[in-house]
Amino acid sequence: MRNVPIVIASVVALTAITTAATAKVSGPQAAQVMHQRHEGMESIGKAFKALRREFDSSSPFDPTVRSSAAQIAGLARKSSGWFPAGTGPEAGKTGAKPEIWKTPQDFAAKLSAFQKASLVFNAAAASGDINAAKARYADLGGTCKACHDKYRAEMHH
Amino acid sequence: MHNHHTDWHIWSGCAILTLLIFRLLWGVVGSSTARFTNFVRGPRAIGDYLRGRWTGIGHNPLGALSVIALFLALSVQVGLGLVAEDEDGLYTGPLYRLVSIDTSDKARDLHELWFNVILGLVALHVVAIVFYRLRGKHLTKPMITGRAHLEPGMEPMRVGKWWIALICLATGIGITRWIIAGAPPFSS
Repeated sequence: MRNVPIVIASVVALTAITTAATAKVSGPQAAQVMHQRHEGMESIGKAFKALRREFDSSSPFDPTVRSSAAQIAGLARKSSGWFPAGTGPEAGKTGAKPEIWKTPQDFAAKLSAFQKASLVFNAAAASGDINAAKARYADLGGTCKACHDKYRAEMHH
Repeated sequence: MHNHHTDWHIWSGCAILTLLIFRLLWGVVGSSTARFTNFVRGPRAIGDYLRGRWTGIGHNPLGALSVIALFLALSVQVGLGLVAEDEDGLYTGPLYRLVSIDTSDKARDLHELWFNVILGLVALHVVAIVFYRLRGKHLTKPMITGRAHLEPGMEPMRVGKWWIALICLATGIGITRWIIAGAPPFSS
């Protein structure tokens, strides 16, 4: 577990980021954030799906697992800036439910749980231990689901 | 699919798969009125039926089309669901590994669209039952009880054996379980 100090440092840094991004946005700025959020979530989803196929195959391919895990961790880090007030359904088409801004503390806790899980998973993937990576991957999926169940609406393209 | 019941959704799909396999087998070795060779007829028989020149029990030649349409529509729906995966990648059909991520995503979109086809067939089905009922013909009662009024000279239904029904159902459950397990050894 040589990555433990890195994980702790990152978690501390993340907590600072999460609490900082709360200023309300509007107009083109809101549209830009919503676009980034959409693209980011889509990339996370694609990496997550690729990982599932990788883990379910008889011989998971190490480099793919590492790069996808790193990609998710990087995007998760950015996700702190994806939910400023003013980027809900009132600002345009989005899968983000208004509840995000009605229960901000609970939402922040769930987002933070996701970010932590992404770092722990990334560390497990980097260690090359496929079984550990699989287990942390399942944990990560749990944090996606916990948040999406409550705060994500269906979005038709 | 953010209605929090995706696991129920997948299980009901598997139940429908079991029923489809059962019905397919029962249509070959089941009661005489259930056998495809006995009730699926060509355009001429349908024409005769529409002109009132058809007598018999079980599915009439026009109703046979409805049976086939429902069977095929549900098979397509189940097939799409088996390889689909949700937008977030949190849920997958049991055979998603057989196809690429893009195909899984397309299958999900089609699965959603195709449901409208099934809704249309269901509506047509219910309207037909009501239509026949208003004209004095019960369709559902003979289907459930196996008893219908026979005109003189009409051949009665030969009832299928209960243990054959049981084998058909067990086969349906067995194949479904194999698919839920990812259809080894084809999917890795």
